[in-house]
Amino acid sequence: MSSQFELAQNPTDVISAVKFATKSPTRLLVSSWDCNLYLYDTHAEPGGKLLQKFEHPAPVLDVCFGHDDNEAYTACLDWEVRRINLETGAQTVLSTHEKAARNVIYSPDHNLLISSSWDATLHLHDLSKPGEFSTVVLDSKAFSLSVSPTKLVVAMASRSVCIYDLDTLAKAAAQSDTVAVEPWQRRESSMKYMTRAVACMPNDAGYASSSIEGRVAVEWFDPSEVSQSRKYAFKCHRQTVDDKDMVYPVNALAFHPVHGTFASGGGDGVVALWDGVAKRRIRQYQRFPASVATIAFSGDGKYVAVGVSPGFEDGMDDVPDGAIKVFIRELSDSEAQGKKK
Amino acid sequence: MTKKRKRYPDLDQKLERPWCFYCERDFDDLKILISHQKAKHFKCDRCGRRLNTAGGLSVHMNQVHKETLTHVENAIANRQGLDIEIFGMEGVPAEVLDQHTQLVTQKHFAEEAERARNTGNPVRGMFSNGTAPVTKRTKVKENMDDLEAKAAKYRHDKVNGLLPLAVAEVAPNPTPPVVQPYGVPPVAAPPFAAGSPFPPPGAPQFGQGQSFPPGPGFPPAYGGPLPMNGGVPPGPGSATGPSGLPQRPPFGGPTNAFPPGQNGNAYSEFALRPPGANDPNAISASLDELISDAKSAAPAPPTEKKSKKDKNIKMVFFDESISPEEKMMALPRYASFVRT
Repeated sequence: MSSQFELAQNPTDVISAVKFATKSPTRLLVSSWDCNLYLYDTHAEPGGKLLQKFEHPAPVLDVCFGHDDNEAYTACLDWEVRRINLETGAQTVLSTHEKAARNVIYSPDHNLLISSSWDATLHLHDLSKPGEFSTVVLDSKAFSLSVSPTKLVVAMASRSVCIYDLDTLAKAAAQSDTVAVEPWQRRESSMKYMTRAVACMPNDAGYASSSIEGRVAVEWFDPSEVSQSRKYAFKCHRQTVDDKDMVYPVNALAFHPVHGTFASGGGDGVVALWDGVAKRRIRQYQRFPASVATIAFSGDGKYVAVGVSPGFEDGMDDVPDGAIKVFIRELSDSEAQGKKK
Repeated sequence: MTKKRKRYPDLDQKLERPWCFYCERDFDDLKILISHQKAKHFKCDRCGRRLNTAGGLSVHMNQVHKETLTHVENAIANRQGLDIEIFGMEGVPAEVLDQHTQLVTQKHFAEEAERARNTGNPVRGMFSNGTAPVTKRTKVKENMDDLEAKAAKYRHDKVNGLLPLAVAEVAPNPTPPVVQPYGVPPVAAPPFAAGSPFPPPGAPQFGQGQSFPPGPGFPPAYGGPLPMNGGVPPGPGSATGPSGLPQRPPFGGPTNAFPPGQNGNAYSEFALRPPGANDPNAISASLDELISDAKSAAPAPPTEKKSKKDKNIKMVFFDESISPEEKMMALPRYASFVRT
């Protein structure tokens, strides 16, 4: 389909994250294991225009935009959380974890930047107080973060999931110290295997999480029994080869900001759109040439970016040339729309 | 009230069902198929208009949206082409049609055989032409003396080390550990190891796991060439058996209960040997034969399907607590970045 294209200049190593700017739907950041952060204008010219490249001392594991489209934050393998000024290219180290920084996420309502790490801590950066941060100790090392308007969901090793109240975290961030913050809710993943990704519903009602064993679970924040009994999980990203069920990890989850449906991306190179409320698959796209590492919707929900990298889940030694790509797909109005009521 | 008997559709009914070229799904009638194709395969993803054919959609995309259609949506691999004009069941190439017929037939018989195996009932129509169902096990009349003689021989063999020898010689051959197929008659279990060439006294003369002996007029079940591959589809002729007779389930079908040759054949072959042949030379010769048999049968993959619960799954990535990214960090090419 001509509404889908790949970026002309792609990173040279595995892609860790793709993120659209909050306001401009064509401004895209791509972080990669090749130690660079890339900034594109996806529609300036056919194949997108690479606006700038920001070099880091080590592979970049995650990126997010800040309060405007010229501010970005990165989580880096060298333990540091950085602020990148996308106009000037100036880099500032905000904090240093005790192991690699895995995720960064920004909550616009609280002006709070949260980073997580394999050292099993969160760093809370109150961006109105530059240079200060607080540390929250987690149960286990963090694998994925997601924010809704009022909640932060942290997926960790040992299948544990913690839901924090952002107001509480914002208060804790003001203390600029190691603070003991009890999660608002502590849950065990409803899946049997390691959690791979979490994504919150834009309507603040709940979240979806995915595991390495081809499964996605959808659950709700509301602790009432009625809401909890609504939670479910389903199998996806599997393939039958010679009577064997090949089960791929579900690497990426992203909610559509307008329709509230979500996309999942798996090691099988497939991206599927789901209606989490009607429990229906809306569509499944043509298989991408390699494992899908990350997915992001643009702020207006018109575009979806898919980062594709081979050998991502089995840690292959060598990355073949030309297999690392970012695909941009223009969605038609009803393409990601769920079942009509 | 008696339980209502479940009616399984017969092969003709299954073959009559219209099915979709693009996704191999079948439907109750042609109308539903056509609306399925319009909704799933010929729908414009720009404006939602449902066209009648892939060609029609291509022209629509071209004229209305100035876009080119490259493939049919939601189609299985190598059916995405726009070059074939499909409408309902029209336009499906003959070879694809044949392929589908074969697939449905194969599946039908596999299901039927599986049902027969599960319920123990004869396959429908099996004995309709007057032949009586054959009893499941041929009766062996044995008096006390015979039994005692056999027991004595067994003890004697055991003392002479013949039995352990057989096992020891069979063990080092390269066959993968034989998974005991279900349905093995309990007599075949100890003291004979799985795959042991020595038939237990009074064992049935047909292969393990086979629920009925070949009826009259049927060729012996697994007399075919030894390295029978599990996935070999039956010849086109096998779809329709002799008139009035039910068709033999195509062996080698996906749900076949055990690998032909590996167990059944070697086993029944040895069952034919007179039990009194205790000449050591004869035994070692037959062992050689067995080993070569086993070797030649080795490439046949065990097509045994496991029960639904322990599914045959393979996880592409598995670890209890180390995420893929952490594994990646451990790769030599990132060693210089790892901070300690």
